[in-house]
Amino acid sequence: MSCSNLTMWVSSKPSLSDPSSISFRSLLNPFRLPSHSSATSIPSRSSSTNPIQCGLRELRERIDSVKNTQKITEAMKLVAAAKVRRAQEAVVNGRPFSETLVEVLYNINEQLQTEDIDVPLTKVRTVKKVALVVVTGDRGLCGGFNNAIIKKAESRIAELKDLGLDYTVISVGKKGNSYFLRRPYIPVDRFLEGGSLPTAKEAQAIADDVFSLFISEEVDKVELLYTKFVSLVKSDPVIHTLLPLSPKGEICDINGNCVDAAEDELFRLTTKEGKLTVERDVVRTPTPEFSPILQFEQDPVQILDALLPLYLNSQILRALQESLASELAARMSAMSNATDNAVELKRNLSIAYNRERQAKITGEILEIVAGAEALA
Amino acid sequence: MTLNLCVLTPNRIVWDSEVKEIILSTNSGQIGVLPNHAPIATAVDIGILRIRLNDQWLTMALMGGFARIGNNEITILVNDAEKGSDIDPQEAQRTLEIAEANLSRAEGKRQTIEANLALRRARTRVEAINVIS
Repeated sequence: MSCSNLTMWVSSKPSLSDPSSISFRSLLNPFRLPSHSSATSIPSRSSSTNPIQCGLRELRERIDSVKNTQKITEAMKLVAAAKVRRAQEAVVNGRPFSETLVEVLYNINEQLQTEDIDVPLTKVRTVKKVALVVVTGDRGLCGGFNNAIIKKAESRIAELKDLGLDYTVISVGKKGNSYFLRRPYIPVDRFLEGGSLPTAKEAQAIADDVFSLFISEEVDKVELLYTKFVSLVKSDPVIHTLLPLSPKGEICDINGNCVDAAEDELFRLTTKEGKLTVERDVVRTPTPEFSPILQFEQDPVQILDALLPLYLNSQILRALQESLASELAARMSAMSNATDNAVELKRNLSIAYNRERQAKITGEILEIVAGAEALA
Repeated sequence: MTLNLCVLTPNRIVWDSEVKEIILSTNSGQIGVLPNHAPIATAVDIGILRIRLNDQWLTMALMGGFARIGNNEITILVNDAEKGSDIDPQEAQRTLEIAEANLSRAEGKRQTIEANLALRRARTRVEAINVIS
């Protein structure tokens, strides 16, 4: 009874949905072994749709492994998203400091303009040697993030070579360290490692190094190469001149375009319609006049000496934070793509698996039916 | 007529509230600040900041920076600041010993300068604890 039911079902199937060759061929060749039939039938069918060709067990294993990979990439994406939030909090927490600093620097500069002072950190010398501070990430799996900044460094080094200038590199971050270690022909002054979240300590370490290089006149210019965070999907590797500091509190890029440091850009991660987006606002810090009768407890030079290292630090810290935010954003989008790919692959593999399983069952039923008919 | 103190580091705001009086170590020695102080700008040395709240004195270790006083507002910008009560005495003592050992081993000008700086930071942290007790 059950046999006849099955025959009905099998024979009805080709006519209903899928008049494919397998069932037909199996019908013509009823004494084929099931393993044979599946081995020959799968390529003929799958070659047109997708190129997945392997046995049932292998397929199952592949589906499982893709599933695991998808879980990992999904988790990494979420972790990166959470960390972007933390990076952004760090930037927000640092803002009162940098705002006050810029404000004070502005005012003191205005008051000092009339006096002829000589501050070593702002001294412009003829450039013979340039120090490049290259900020990279500590980990991979973040798309082209590390590559982009290293390419930028390479092209800058080539430019300096063409100009006949000497250079040295200060590498920050594990990825940059391993890159420069593999290339011993690039002179590296120091390898530093960035932490999971940049703090004043890391910035201090870089600032100390840069400071002593510049003051001892070993280098005449210090440039900072880092990745500027534009949005979750876009980040630009940029070059900023760190030293000599411009006494007006401006940040200059290599082309001499100066940005007012009082103009502060703030990025904010928000959720819009269930998706993560980034808002970036430019905040113009008002610089209120402070008391004109302000007295200097020490020499103005001493005060600037105390202020400029703070400013240098906050600049470096800012760059580290931007770089970290870009890295996390790059990882987020890379992992998001990887998850999408894994889902797609899993879907294709399950289709192939189900087809093959179906084909095998069909083959087995046909054999049973054929056997029953032969006996009858 | 109240005096407001604001201690800022690159990472966070360490202190932002009213105080009665502070004693600040500047590059040219310690200065005490009471309400209605004349507006001044000063460089802050690596040293201790003492804060009076009513009748209670608090200490804070400052790692060098800048201070601006005016309008009954004190703004202190420093690289790092730690409250005396937040410092682990044993850890601070150990750091001090390491810093002393490093200074005696330092060779060359650059190393000596760096070791001296580390020693002063470590000493300030130890002092910040000992003032309380």
